[in-house]
This record gives sequence, C-alpha cells and structure tokens, in this order.
Amino acid sequence: MSDPRSRLALGVAAIALALYALFFAGDYALHVLTRAGIYAIAAIGYQLIFGRLGALSLAQGCFFGLGAYAAGLGALELGLGFPLTLAAGVLLPSLLAALIAIPVLRLASHYFALATLGIAQLALLVATNWTDVTGGANGLYGVPPIETGTLSFGHGLPLTLLVWACVGLALTVSHRMTAGQRGLKVETLREAPLAAAALGIDGSAIRFRFFVASAALGGLAGALQAHAVGVVSPDVLQFHVLVLILAMTVIGGRASPLGAVLGALLLVHLPEWFRDFADYYLVVYGAALLAAIIFLPRGLAGLFGKSEMPPVETADAEAPRDPAPHTLSVETVSKRFGGVTALDSVSLTLAPGEILGLIGPNGSGKTTLVNLLSGIDKPDGGRILLGDADITGKPPEYIARSGLCRSFQHPQIAPDLTVLESVEAVTAEGESAAARVTEAGLSDRANENAGTLPPAALKHLEIARALAAGASVLALDEPAAGMNEVERANLAALLKRLADAGHGILLIDHAMDFLLPLADRVICLSAGRVVAEGTPADVARDPAAINAYFGESPL
Amino acid sequence: MTAIAFTQILLNGLALGAAYALIALGFVIVLNAAGAVNFAQGELVMAGGFVSIAVAPLIGEATALPGLLLLPLVMGLMGLMGAGFAWIAYFPVRKRHQVAVFVSTIAAGLVLQHLANALFGAAPRAGPPLISGNGLTVGALSISLQQIAVMVCAAVLISGTGLFLGRTQTGRQMRAVAQDPEMAAAIGIRPKRMITLSFALAIALAGAAGLLLSNQFFVSPNDGGLFMLKAYIAVTIGGWGRLDGAVIGALLIGIFETLVAALTSYLVAEALLYALLLIMLVFRPSGLLPERARARV
Repeated sequence: MSDPRSRLALGVAAIALALYALFFAGDYALHVLTRAGIYAIAAIGYQLIFGRLGALSLAQGCFFGLGAYAAGLGALELGLGFPLTLAAGVLLPSLLAALIAIPVLRLASHYFALATLGIAQLALLVATNWTDVTGGANGLYGVPPIETGTLSFGHGLPLTLLVWACVGLALTVSHRMTAGQRGLKVETLREAPLAAAALGIDGSAIRFRFFVASAALGGLAGALQAHAVGVVSPDVLQFHVLVLILAMTVIGGRASPLGAVLGALLLVHLPEWFRDFADYYLVVYGAALLAAIIFLPRGLAGLFGKSEMPPVETADAEAPRDPAPHTLSVETVSKRFGGVTALDSVSLTLAPGEILGLIGPNGSGKTTLVNLLSGIDKPDGGRILLGDADITGKPPEYIARSGLCRSFQHPQIAPDLTVLESVEAVTAEGESAAARVTEAGLSDRANENAGTLPPAALKHLEIARALAAGASVLALDEPAAGMNEVERANLAALLKRLADAGHGILLIDHAMDFLLPLADRVICLSAGRVVAEGTPADVARDPAAINAYFGESPL
Repeated sequence: MTAIAFTQILLNGLALGAAYALIALGFVIVLNAAGAVNFAQGELVMAGGFVSIAVAPLIGEATALPGLLLLPLVMGLMGLMGAGFAWIAYFPVRKRHQVAVFVSTIAAGLVLQHLANALFGAAPRAGPPLISGNGLTVGALSISLQQIAVMVCAAVLISGTGLFLGRTQTGRQMRAVAQDPEMAAAIGIRPKRMITLSFALAIALAGAAGLLLSNQFFVSPNDGGLFMLKAYIAVTIGGWGRLDGAVIGALLIGIFETLVAALTSYLVAEALLYALLLIMLVFRPSGLLPERARARV
C-alpha cells in the first residue's frame, strides 16, 4: 500500500464507492453496502491471522458473534450508549483471544484449527442454551440503533458512512501491523518459522498480537452488525459466518487488505445478483470458493500484480559494523531421543575468528548439536555458553539475539521475498541490509525473489540473513552440499573473510577437500561422541576418525 | 443405574462409535495419503446417506435386507465420488500449503451440503434399514437387529480395510506413498494413482457410515460438520495419523457421548466433549498418543 500505484488505486476505489453511496444507491443498496462494510472489517481482521500468518483460525466467526452479543447485551442489559457498546464488542472477543492465545497458538496447524473450532462450538452451545442471558435460540431483540447526542446513524446513508469509516480504521490498523519491516518479519515467520526463530524474530509475540487484533476487528464487525440489524441470534456464531469470512479472504486475496474489502463487496452482492438461482446460488458460492483457491492463489488482488518495492541500489552501501566477538563454549552436552543417545557428553570451544570443522558420518549427531546450539532442541545435560552468557535451553530467538545464528541443511526461506527483503526482515534499526547482501556476494541478485535462487545463492542468502541478525557466531549445516567447484571456492572465500572479520564459524560438511583446507581445527563425531579432535591434518590421519567414516575395515 | 441399563447404553454407544470409526478411519487414510485434513469428510458421510436414500427404490421394500444389499452399491458410488473428489479438491492444490487443502475441502464440503439441500430439501430423511425386523430381547436387555447389523458391518469393513492395507500389494503401495511419495515413486509406484485410491477408499468408508447412520439417526444436509468434528477429535485422541488409534478414539467418543447423554443431556455430552478436547490440547499439545511421524529439521 505504500507504493504510488496502490495508493492511486485505493483513492480511486474509495471515491468511486463514495460517489455510488451518495448519489446512486437506494435504501436497499445502502443496506447491502453496509453489510459488505461490516464483513470487510471482519475479513481484514481474519487476514491478519489467516492470510498473513497462515494460521487457519476457525474462531473468526465466533469472535464476530461474540462482538455482536457483547454489543447487544451491553446496550440492552447494561444500558451502555453507542461508543461503549462498540468497545464492549471489541473487548470481549479480544479478551477471549488473549486468554486462549498462549495454549492455542503453540499448537501445530491441524490442532490449531481443531482447537479454534472447538472453542467456536462451545461458544455456540453457550449462546443457544444460556437462555437467561442470551435469549437462547430466539436471541436478543431490539438492540437500539446507533445514536450519539443529536446524531443518528440508525440506518441509510449515515450508517453506511459510519461503517465504512470503520473499514478505513481497520485498514489503518492492518497497514500499521504489516507495513515495511514488520511485514517482512511476518512473511518470514509464515514461510520459514524455524528460520525466523533462529534469526531472532519473536514469533510468539507477533502471533499473539495478530490473533488478538483479528479478534478485535471481528468483534467490531459483530458489534456494528448487532446495531445495524437490531437482532442478535445464535446464527451469528454458526460455522457459515466463518466460512463466509474465509471465502472473502481467499477470493479477495490472502495478503491484500484491499482484496479483503473487494471480496466482501463481491460476496455480499453476489446473492443479490444471482437471486434467480435460488437454492443453487449457495452451490455456486461453494464452487467459486473452490475455484478461487485453485486458480487464484493470490485471490482477486493477485490479478492486479504484486506491489513491488522500488529496486534498491546496493553498490554504495556502507560497510556493516561487526558485532562484539564471543567465544562459544559447549560443556559436556548430552541429548537423548527416547532410548537413543544422539549426543553423549560433547564438549568444544569456538573462538572469535576461528573456523571449526565438524565432521562425522550420517547420524553421528552433527545436526542435533546445531539444533541444541540454536535452541530448537533442549539438551538433557551440560551447558552452552556464548561469551559469559549461559544460553543452555534458551528459546531460539533469544539465542539468535545473543549472537549465535545458524543455517539449515535445507534452506528455510520466504520464496516471495526478494533477497534484499529477506535480509531487511532481520536487519537491526540503523543498519544497512544492502551492505549485508553485498558482503555475502549477492548484490547482483538483490532484487530477485528468494524462491527463484539457485541452491548455492540460497546458502549465501542464509549467511547474509544471519549476519544481518547480528550473529557473531555462525553454525552452518552443510553449506557446500551440492555446490560445484566454483561455488565452493566462492563460499570458502566468504567464510574466510567472515572469520578474518572476527566471526566464529562452526562448519559442518562431508566434503573434506572443501572443509579441511578451510578449517583451523576439526572435531569428528561418531555415534554422539567426540572421537577425534585437532588440526585438519591430524584428524584426517586419526584412526578413530577414519574408522568412524569407513567402519571396521572389512579387509 | 442398573447393570442392565448400563449394558444397554454401552451397546448403543458401541454402535454409534462403530459408525464414527468408519468416518475416522477414512479421515486418517486421507490424512496419511495427502498429508492434509479432509474437512469435507462429514459432508461425504451425509452424501453417503442421501445416495443410500436415492438408490433405495432400486431394491424395494420387499427384501429383508435392504441396507445390506445396498451397501456395496453405495460404497462403489461413493468410491467413484472419492476419486473425483481427489482430482477436483486435492490434486490442484497438492503442492501448496496444507492450509490450501483445508480451504479447498471446506469449499468442496460446502458444495456438497448445498447441493444436498437443493436436491433433497433441509428436512431430515430416514435412510433404508440394514435389516428389517424388530430385534431380540435377552432377559431385560433389548437389542435391535439394526444395531447389531451396524456393529457387524462396521467391524467387517474396519478389519477388511486393515487387511487390505496391511496384507495386499496395493495396500502396501498405498502405505508406501503415504509415508514418502518421492521414495515410492522412485521404486516404481505411481503416487497419484495410490492417492486417488486412498481417497476412493476413505470416501467409500464415509459413504458406508452414511448408510449405517441414516436409518437410526436420519440424515439432513447440515449434518456434515458434526461428523467431521467427531472424526477429527477421534484422530486427535488416537494419535495423529494412526489407523488403530482412530478406531479406538471413535469408539471412545461414541460410548462417552451416549453415556453422558444418558446421565445428563445430549447438550452436556457435546459441550463436555469439546471442553475435554481443549483441556487435552492444553496439556498434551501434540496429541494424546505419540504421532506417527516426527518432522526432521
């Protein structure tokens, strides 16, 4: 929304809509437009959790319904006036979301969907059967229209304008949460959650904020709905409300708030246009949703093209600052999976400016060690120190921010972000992402999408991100795998430069002709134990290391 | 509660759970083959019920075993529908995020629901009984023939599915694809064919459940959501991706629902089931029993 073209499109669309509402729409058309605005708010909210974070919350309809009940009960039972009823409508679902967020947001995606669906079902059961408060199946009647002092927004044009002003508010909230670097962080979090954590992005905090914001906007929409129609029945909590909001988000566009508005306008108007189809209209509606998810992965908004950030010049980027050097010390660290001991009392140190090679056959515990260092798994025993700080068992984002970052065997990237955007997502304020891109030798590809990069460039991108995140120690899991000679030489040169600049590098690789000349020292793991340690030449001759790789000689 | 009453409830719960088990089994088969949740599984059960009603006139009232005779036909038709379902709602989004499959199956379920509504109307309809006749009385215990037939059918289908997946070459190939499609393709198995077959089998089972439930519980276009939810919960209880766990989970849910409903009300049973599910997810965020596979980093 920040580039001039989208701004122009937004302006033109807003003016066209306003002209339609003011001069061409009759009473009924205004009513439909109001309904579209209400659902647009709920869809903009849903987009935050479903579209941006990719978490299939099935509770958005529930938040909408709770907002309606809160506003209705606030007006009828507590005698609240207009702005307060909306506040109640926003508050109740937000509180529920905040309450359930911590247990629910840590669930894997299929359990998250189920848990949010379970909560929605419970809310529906309560609303239908707690007759004393909610009016049971009949619901609440006579929710007063919106009035404040002498102004009345009861119906017609004033109500439409009020609702669409709220749409504007929702767009602003959404924009503030997703513009610039925030948006890049969220994109990284959705596409590569492990990498996001390993680069210091605080995923839990972002998920919490987005979940509560989606509930707040869903509740606001529900509260407006209660006032607009004057009735709140358990119908507002039914599954079909969620499906409608979901369909608007999918058809309009997962990540474009304007797409959500477009989806809402379309899906609220469609039944009006397809009245003649009667019962079959809903079949068409389902088929349209199916067609949209298959043929329009980015929704209608995708048809208008991705809003590009202007390409960034990388040539004159200033030299980046190097982080304070830290020594990494691993002290008798162990890890068991069930009955299998993956790591058995492993100790090592890695000084600033040193490249430490880590070798060992498959299954010897190399990746497990990197997972423990980066906090993805917790050790069962031992200590890990970064400088003087004890980082044993700390969460990945804490470890990353302390200065230890890792790369992955299979690069974890957000394919739709450019190289520069990927790095920008984790660059500290005041630092230059472009400089890191240049430093990693990717300035020629800065404006290419990460998803289109060849494997070798992806490894460089992972290193560039780790540097941008402020890593003083890098743990690289098989960075040279699958590279040709030239690419290996480039990578070796980069790693040498980084070591000379004071970075400590833990380098896992199977290619000895790449690793041995590069490493200052080498450690060999076998079955979770350190079996050899020393200069590359010593380890290469060490019988224990040779044995670990080739097993007992059959000859 | 007397022992007789308790046994009666247990029997009712077991019959209900047996039908749920077929639904959950289909849910897991698709889950393993496609790596994604089929949100339309409930609507497919509903569709099975309506297909049974639609084809029932072929058999007529005369025979003593209308439902039993219809069962192979209904399962065959639903199997075909399942293959079509895979090609419409799954393969086009196969390479995308798991969530895309969620949404595409929600959409497909929506189409089925509203299609049933437009064709048959919203009112609940009764499907053909498996066996006509009243049932027998053992002491003070009354057992309906229908319930016994439901349990026997479900047991036969479940063990048949187990044997098919475990002992036949095709079944082994289907499991190989479920475990690792690329590796399976590398040894000459055609993943697409096996996945299509998995959908067909899963949805034939859903259709069978639809027929089994349609006489005692009736069938209406809006029933799908609850069936899907029961299967989803059963699979969560039984261990994500485990066939045996799904069956056990479904039986537990059937007995739980019937028992709690008899002691209090159906409403409380429903609410308690969701509440227990949520509590379980709070304390065991990765399910009650160990999952089939653990993601590698």
